[in-house]
Amino acid sequence: MTRPLILAAAALAMLGVVPAAAAPPIKIGVQVPITGTYANEGQGIERAVKLLADEQNAKGGLLGRQIQVITCDDEGEASQAAICARQLTNDYVVAVIGSYTSGAALAAEPIYARADVIQTSDGTSDQLLQRGYKTWFGNAPPNSAEAEFTAHYLVDVRHFGKIAVLTDHSAFATGLADAVIADAKADKGNVVEKAFVNAGSQNFTPVLTELKAHAPGVIYFSGYYSDGGLIRAQMDQLGIKTAFVGGDANQNVAFAKIAGPAAAGSIIINVPAPEDLPYPAAKQFVAAFKAKYGAPPPSVYSLTNADGMRAVMLAIQDTKSTNPAKLENYLHHLKDFQGLTGTFSWNDRGERIGSPFVAFAVEADGSYKILYPEPKGS
Amino acid sequence: MSIFIQQIFNGLTVGGIYALIALGYTMVYGVMRLINFAHGDLCILGAFIGLTLLSSAIGSEQPGPAMLALAFVVAIIVVAVAGLVLELVAYRPLRKADRLAAVVSALGASILIENGIMLIWGPNVHVFPAGLLPQTTWYVAGAAITFVQVMIILASLVLMAALYLFVHHTRFGTAIRAAAIDQDTARLMGINVSRVIASVFIIGPALGAIGGLFIGVYYREAYFTMGWTYGLYAFIAAILGGIGNIPGAMLGGVLLGLFNAFAAGYVSSSWQDAITFGLLIAILLVRPTGLLGERVAEKV
Repeated sequence: MTRPLILAAAALAMLGVVPAAAAPPIKIGVQVPITGTYANEGQGIERAVKLLADEQNAKGGLLGRQIQVITCDDEGEASQAAICARQLTNDYVVAVIGSYTSGAALAAEPIYARADVIQTSDGTSDQLLQRGYKTWFGNAPPNSAEAEFTAHYLVDVRHFGKIAVLTDHSAFATGLADAVIADAKADKGNVVEKAFVNAGSQNFTPVLTELKAHAPGVIYFSGYYSDGGLIRAQMDQLGIKTAFVGGDANQNVAFAKIAGPAAAGSIIINVPAPEDLPYPAAKQFVAAFKAKYGAPPPSVYSLTNADGMRAVMLAIQDTKSTNPAKLENYLHHLKDFQGLTGTFSWNDRGERIGSPFVAFAVEADGSYKILYPEPKGS
Repeated sequence: MSIFIQQIFNGLTVGGIYALIALGYTMVYGVMRLINFAHGDLCILGAFIGLTLLSSAIGSEQPGPAMLALAFVVAIIVVAVAGLVLELVAYRPLRKADRLAAVVSALGASILIENGIMLIWGPNVHVFPAGLLPQTTWYVAGAAITFVQVMIILASLVLMAALYLFVHHTRFGTAIRAAAIDQDTARLMGINVSRVIASVFIIGPALGAIGGLFIGVYYREAYFTMGWTYGLYAFIAAILGGIGNIPGAMLGGVLLGLFNAFAAGYVSSSWQDAITFGLLIAILLVRPTGLLGERVAEKV
């Protein structure tokens, strides 16, 4: 027997506590695709969670206990996700971060619910909310959040008088355009026209000329960057001074190149890339991530899941407990949680309330500047 | 009124490009009764050749009009040679074969060139450098027209007029027209029909390369599947004007551009293509040989 162990045993004996209560770590599960199509995303989430656990452990852990991260590779598949969920619950984890895909999260959801294990994932499917499980905490915004944010920005923030909506014929772009129109009308916005372009046809001057006649205050385009950049350039060519706001698919370095001199001042609405998050905590996290792993987080979903992990750690700290019921109650009532991806809270269905979307302007050099919400403390 | 004029400018610019490309379809069809489906891809090859030259110049200095002129010359030469090689490899061995074999060969050549472009330049969108030409904009009755648009419209008109004069007022042009009417009789008159065929495979792609580079300069982007889109529109323009008829291809291209502009501007942007092609069907019902495709005896 070595000296430190003897000392430890002696110390425990003096304190008179049961050895098992002081020593065991708090187990946090990570259920993500480590292999397969989404391996890159899954590994990013695992790394983010481990980074947070390491940082907390260096500060002495939680409730005087170390955090132990247990990873299970669900390959992004529903069948494998169920196996992972059983493995992790058998390991007595307090909470599980993941998975990345909605399908895998759905398959695991009832297993965690029955075992009373908190599950926080970036899955965005509506079905994840419909079952009413108390253990579910979505950490990414639902699919409808972009449209809601866009409508709010166009109508309530910028007060554009007449809104013209332009879309291509793809399911994605028309879906987003229709949702923006519905939400803008709900916000009492004046949508004067919805017009179409043929993606890839390049010649958008006819439809833009027609839009010009309506003298809209803003043209919102829900399609992709290759068309968006050209639309911006051709607006300039036709002398249309209207503001241009593009949906998330316009965020690509090629947008500014195609639009050329017309790019500056275009506004794009999207969840910012990890490096572009304006919050100090996020900047610090991304820097630590880069320092530890030699590469930035693969996508913002590494950070939304990190937010899930941070919320769970905060809950354990504040409730001084790992009791599932106490933690779930705490998280459901957590107001204005300062996440890396913005401020949010959870409603009673575990839906994330508080959008990470931002509106940013394209600068003359092709970089981005966040316009709304205004960055705090930076 | 300003909107009407604006839509005419919009339509004329893109119509001029369609017309330049359509000439390649119509000349080949006139002489060989073959639709060269690879023609659209040859045109886009021109855009990519020009893009490579212009982008490579960026390191040293900002490419200007002189560099652009050089890009046009090189693109024309490369694409004309490619057209000649295409004729030698894909069509000449099949000249006596079944008509269908040549059509399949043409489709194969189209896929080959398109994928060749993808393998060389990659599948992403390429962007042309900015500031090649003056950014001047003129306003005519409230409608904006840019320097690039004026250049495209004028250059297309000049090129089409030159081609028309060449085919109708030179000895070689007469030979082309003779071969188009009857190849056997033309041979009996001492015309080298193989040379005539080779010449249309040089002239068509050369004009197409200019059209392709105009697309690049006007829209400032190029991607490998563009040949299919423009090839389809130009092919339809050739049919609309009467395939095999040179003034017909010009008229068809310009009309198609205008149809498209007015359909989007005055009816519905979501039905833009449906209206354009519905109109095309209506015209072909009334005039099955196309607008100017009447004189069957003398095609080209």
